[in-house]
Amino acid sequence: VKIPYGWVREFVDLDLTAEQAAERLINAGLEVASVTSAAPDARGVVIGEVEAIERELGESHGHRLLLCRVSTGRERFAVVSGAPNTRVGLRAAFAPPGAMLPGNRAIGVATIRGAESQGMLCSERELGLGDEHEAGLLAVEPDAPLGADLLAHLGLDDRVLEIEVTPNRPDCLSVLGVARELAALTGRRLRVPAIPRRQGREPARALVRVRVEAPDLCPRYTVRVVSGVRIGPSPAWLAARLRACGLRPISNVVDVTNYVLWELGHPLHAFDGDRVAGATFVIRRAAAGERFTTLDGQTRALDDSMLVIADPERAIGLAGVMGGANSEVGHATTRVFLESAYFAPGSIRRTSRALGLRTDAAYRFERGADIEGLVDAGARAVQLIAELAGGTVARGMVDVYRRRRRPVRVRLRLARVERVLGVVPSRPQARRILAGLGLGVRDRGRDLDVQVPSFRRDLAIEDDLAEEIIRVWGYDKIPSTLLAGATIEVARESDRLRQEAIARRALVGAGLVEAVGSSFSDPVRVAALRAPGDPEPVALLNPLSQDASLLRQHPLDGVLGAVSTNVRRRQPDVRVFEIGRTYERSAGGDTGTAEPRWATIALTGARHERGWDDEGAAVDVYDAKGYAEHVLETFGLTTHTTPGGRLGGLEPDRHASLATEPGDVVAEFGELSAGARESFGIDVPVFVAAIRLDRLPALPLAPRHRPLPRFPSVQRDMAFAIGDPALAVATVQTAIARAAGALLRDIAVFDVFGLPEGARSVAWRLTFQADDRTLTDEEVNAIHARVAEVVSRQFGITLRGS
Amino acid sequence: MRPQVEELERQAAAAIEAARTSGELEQIRIEFLGRNGKLTQLLRSLGQVPPEQRREIGLEANRAKATLEARLESALDAAREGERVARRSAERLDLTLPGRRPPRGVVHPLTRVHDEIVSIFAGLGFSVAEGPEIETDFYNFEALNMPKDHPARDMQDTFYLSDETLLRTHTSPGQIRAMRAAAGRTPVKTIVPGRVFRRDVPDASHSPVFHQVEGLAVDRRITMGDLKGTLELFAREMFGPKSRIRFRPSFFPFTEPSAEVDVLCFMCGGAGCRACGDGWLEILGSGMVHPTVLRNGGYDPEEVTGWAFGMGIERIAMLKYGVDDLRLFFENDLRFLKQFS
Repeated sequence: VKIPYGWVREFVDLDLTAEQAAERLINAGLEVASVTSAAPDARGVVIGEVEAIERELGESHGHRLLLCRVSTGRERFAVVSGAPNTRVGLRAAFAPPGAMLPGNRAIGVATIRGAESQGMLCSERELGLGDEHEAGLLAVEPDAPLGADLLAHLGLDDRVLEIEVTPNRPDCLSVLGVARELAALTGRRLRVPAIPRRQGREPARALVRVRVEAPDLCPRYTVRVVSGVRIGPSPAWLAARLRACGLRPISNVVDVTNYVLWELGHPLHAFDGDRVAGATFVIRRAAAGERFTTLDGQTRALDDSMLVIADPERAIGLAGVMGGANSEVGHATTRVFLESAYFAPGSIRRTSRALGLRTDAAYRFERGADIEGLVDAGARAVQLIAELAGGTVARGMVDVYRRRRRPVRVRLRLARVERVLGVVPSRPQARRILAGLGLGVRDRGRDLDVQVPSFRRDLAIEDDLAEEIIRVWGYDKIPSTLLAGATIEVARESDRLRQEAIARRALVGAGLVEAVGSSFSDPVRVAALRAPGDPEPVALLNPLSQDASLLRQHPLDGVLGAVSTNVRRRQPDVRVFEIGRTYERSAGGDTGTAEPRWATIALTGARHERGWDDEGAAVDVYDAKGYAEHVLETFGLTTHTTPGGRLGGLEPDRHASLATEPGDVVAEFGELSAGARESFGIDVPVFVAAIRLDRLPALPLAPRHRPLPRFPSVQRDMAFAIGDPALAVATVQTAIARAAGALLRDIAVFDVFGLPEGARSVAWRLTFQADDRTLTDEEVNAIHARVAEVVSRQFGITLRGS
Repeated sequence: MRPQVEELERQAAAAIEAARTSGELEQIRIEFLGRNGKLTQLLRSLGQVPPEQRREIGLEANRAKATLEARLESALDAAREGERVARRSAERLDLTLPGRRPPRGVVHPLTRVHDEIVSIFAGLGFSVAEGPEIETDFYNFEALNMPKDHPARDMQDTFYLSDETLLRTHTSPGQIRAMRAAAGRTPVKTIVPGRVFRRDVPDASHSPVFHQVEGLAVDRRITMGDLKGTLELFAREMFGPKSRIRFRPSFFPFTEPSAEVDVLCFMCGGAGCRACGDGWLEILGSGMVHPTVLRNGGYDPEEVTGWAFGMGIERIAMLKYGVDDLRLFFENDLRFLKQFS
């Protein structure tokens, strides 16, 4: 909210600059985002009077060009004006030669239609004060001082505080509220101006009736009446003040409601009294489907949770949110019904959100208006209306206020204040602080009895008052101490976090780069990564954009995003991993969802850093598998490989699972399918692995020492030609190991290559060892021969090179 | 026979003199001293020499053999040294070529900061817990003193999955979960790191996905002074021993009183710069746990008090590493990530 500082100073004497005041407010919890000048960037513009019109210079754009004589009191200028409201005697904005208009527009002497124009008479738009141009020159009062600085005259030499008021302090959304805060902070007295009561004899009650049919949504409704008004523009000072607050002047009556809104903080609404049927207000819920045209010309469909202001025939206002076009104050209005009411905050908030109508009024009502202060706001507004638009104020008001607000009293123990804050001011100081904020304070034994005024809806409990005390006294008074805990406990991370840290360390140690992906995904990507039978992905009700409208369901979504970014940015070698979650529907739990955790890996490009003697062999699917196995081994798991898997988005014949026991899959790996690649905009092969962390042990088993072997080991190599492409190396290896028996310590594939006739040659290295003796060549040769014989026969494959 | 010995000695000396390589010298050794070498054979033929001359010639021949061996040895040494030098210069290595480095793994900068925060608080005796990212309205808002239609909900634009489920907008549900898990025991000292979500259009300082760490301490005698002291300690660990912090009043529905915490700008030392503006950098929100929240966690606010804070990991990483665009953390450009190795 924009609060002009000069206006604040009308309510409290302050010898602070606007910047100093801002600093004080910030230290008391009122966030002042900026202090700026209210004035546009113009210099040297003064008030001038059109003394005479010398002659006409013809037409331009449909306007007569007039050569005028303009006086600034001391000097006279010959000025050409094409403004429609140019007339003798008019006092208006005048930029003499040497003045500067917004946009660094320097004013000098120009020749127009052969006549010399010394300076320029200006419109509102030319001065950067608003949009108005067609109406002509910015006119000021006929008695405005000639030659005076225009911006100062308009009150625009003010500084404006832009305050970001937290939701608990609606009372600070006004000049009075900010003034009250500054008074409390400086110890100065707040001067709330007395409102004069000039009113006629006829009581408002005789002119208007109010029926509240929904008291739960409208606890208080008041109406005042001004008769005989003349609608016209507001005086310049008022218009300027509204502009300084960021509001657009409309007409005297409407401007007064906005002025009082800013001054006292209470939203008001002026109805054209002659357009309220039967001069009767009915405050009721809207009918379901009722259509209503708001002031902005939009027709809206309402529902029965919304409150409307109606007359006996139709709705004429959307309560607390926006008035209706059908009862709007206009040029013909002569009688004003002024509403000052209190609406239930929750209802206003729901209505305003449901209709997407965020107005100044709704903003305040949903935070909580001042149910007592609304009386003064109404009184102040009708007096101003009568002052500016003429007319007679009817006596009193119609006030429907059935259930009076209960006074809020809080018993404040200073001991409690100290217990919460660790420090407490003296009792007189605490009293002074609270009283300065407008609270009623009385001693009561060792405690204070505090009465909370209606404008401080945020204060309800002792601790609220503790905050009031410390924020005015100063947060720097809070001491700096450490928890004096007597208990010493071993603090530890959750097992899940430790497990993730172990997986992360393993992968970083293996040279991969950690990525952190978004939780959102694009329906196109989700579809490309989906496996048949996957449940529906979890969707956002209110996504920011279509391409981030689903929660990611596929564990690789994050790392593939990282691959995509880098490949598209011409970094072809990407070896990344992510520790992250996916989101899926799941029975049970509070939310009907589950968040499985994964370690995922994606690889593309070179296997190692390319070097001066290494062109960098390309990664392949065995790299992806190897990283997965590396992590699994870190947790002490050895796995078997089984073809295929559950994850979507992988090439069917290049996709396998790693299982600890049959059916107990802990990871999958493979090559990304072309469709999945395309959805990520990747045009190179990508190899991936996904490890389901939830299926891994929380922590690796503690290592267990075994004695070192005392006798040497013996190695034998053995190669088979395998003709059947469906015969898996793992199957043959299992058979070899079984045939080799108990003396086999280790077996590893060390060479695979294609043979001319289409078969594969696969070579194993077998390591034999006994715990109790040195093995003899004969023993090992015998095992070797047995293995060769058994395995050749079992699979119909031949031992090579023997 | 003596002339023959002398002749062989001369021949050998000349051959050694003429030899260029260690290979030639080896040949000479074989020619004269090998099993069938000339000198060896001569010695072998001593039997045919008349006995009276045998001793003398034998001595002579052995002397010649020893001389020859010594000479060969020194010539070989010289030749080998020469050859070693020659080979070195032929196989010269340019050691200024880059070394072959193992691939360097990199921890994401957000993880680095996360780990640092966690280890500071773990050192202060805080346990580390987690919570779900998909939360109920109750844990995310209502239990934290933000009933439906509370305008404070505007402070956190929320992604909804249904009327009652949402993506958590802060790690503060962790306060309720931690208290309920402690089931009335004191003290409760927990931090809850995790991913949170706000419906903010991404720009240099906003991301719909980001990370926070929540802190909570509940005990019989805990004051706002303890909050200040603890956060001061944290700031010194995190930003250096000269760090200072400042408390500013603020508003959060789940703390009372509430404080925004600033750290003295470590770029300009508090003089004011482009990063901080007025010399202070906002790093976290905090306050004394609201009595309603204590009750919702199963504690009696007359028996215990507590404090809580919530800090943004991205915010701290940006300050610490001088990152000026939040989006960089989620793009995963390797050129960015590798700056943190």
